[in-house]
Amino acid sequence: MTRLPEIASAVPDCVVAAWVDTRTGAVREQHVVQDEAFVAQALEAATEVMRSRERPPRMVLLSARHVYMFHRMISDPHRVLVVICARSANIGLAVALVRSFAAAEAAAA
Amino acid sequence: MMSPSAELEVLHVLERMPPDASGALVRERPDGTMAGALLIERGRVCWAMSERYPLRLTDILVAEQDTLSLHQINEVFAMCRRDHMPLGETLVARGLVSLPVLHRALLRHTCEALDCLVREDVPWSWIEHSGYGYHPMLTFSPAEVLAGVRAIASPTLAARALTRLRSLVRDGQRGFAVERSSSSKAPLAQVGCEGVDLVALADLAIQAEEVMAVAATIDIEISLAELAGLACASWAEDNVLFVLLCDGELAFNRLLAQVAAMKIPLP
Repeated sequence: MTRLPEIASAVPDCVVAAWVDTRTGAVREQHVVQDEAFVAQALEAATEVMRSRERPPRMVLLSARHVYMFHRMISDPHRVLVVICARSANIGLAVALVRSFAAAEAAAA
Repeated sequence: MMSPSAELEVLHVLERMPPDASGALVRERPDGTMAGALLIERGRVCWAMSERYPLRLTDILVAEQDTLSLHQINEVFAMCRRDHMPLGETLVARGLVSLPVLHRALLRHTCEALDCLVREDVPWSWIEHSGYGYHPMLTFSPAEVLAGVRAIASPTLAARALTRLRSLVRDGQRGFAVERSSSSKAPLAQVGCEGVDLVALADLAIQAEEVMAVAATIDIEISLAELAGLACASWAEDNVLFVLLCDGELAFNRLLAQVAAMKIPLP
């Protein structure tokens, strides 16, 4: 049982938290907080970004309105945690929370 | 304008330099005449010469420092030749040129001569040497030389990129810029990347460019990545891709805070 709702409620202005499979491109599990039209497209783009195994395990992308946080699981490199939140002054907090969550998931795996 | 193949040739030449070795990469024609050479001391570039390159260091120094006359420099040059003294250090010691001007002039001469030398169609050979005795401050890393050669092709863009980098790179950080339309990913400008491996710089630029391309559908402006304690931020401004590197404790957080507050000029 994953804790996506937990991270989604902790991250300020969270839009969606999801586990994606970079091999198949499928969204394995997601918790949508704000059902914005761009969520499906954003998760698809996130999967594409992390599809290359050369990509670093931890990435943050900033657009004018959103922050995209990616963590690849060491135990299963195809499994990537994606958290998207609105861009605000709390970026540092959001990134730190997602990092802690990913570390806890990795430890539990 | 420098062609991508000439850029790649410069990159290949610099990769041919044996690490920490001293010697010369020489280009000799079949008739035994020398087309030119690249002098290397302890893995750093000291000097390049090419038969095709028309300028002398003294010409560049006079152009760079308007208080210096050709007559003055020729006098010092003759004295240095007679007494086996290093020209650059002597000019600095006599207060005729400043160290930054000498550094800039030497780098320009080396890069422009190398740009000519790579266009020769003769093989390279390596001649080992115990060392030329160049002052380390007046020698250049492969990254400095590659950026210098790259800047010959796009001087205005390179100057703008360097100014922008200097305004961004903080203590403990390094940064470089590449022209996005260029296939070689040779740095257009760099700050603090003197000691970074050229292939590593190119790989970072390629990775950053790939992420920007893939994430274009979601209007990504800035990308941050963490690699074994090294934090890397990249973004594009017009046709230039900027990359900032930061390592150490909390590097990622510091870089994130910096780039999140940064204003990226609109195209």
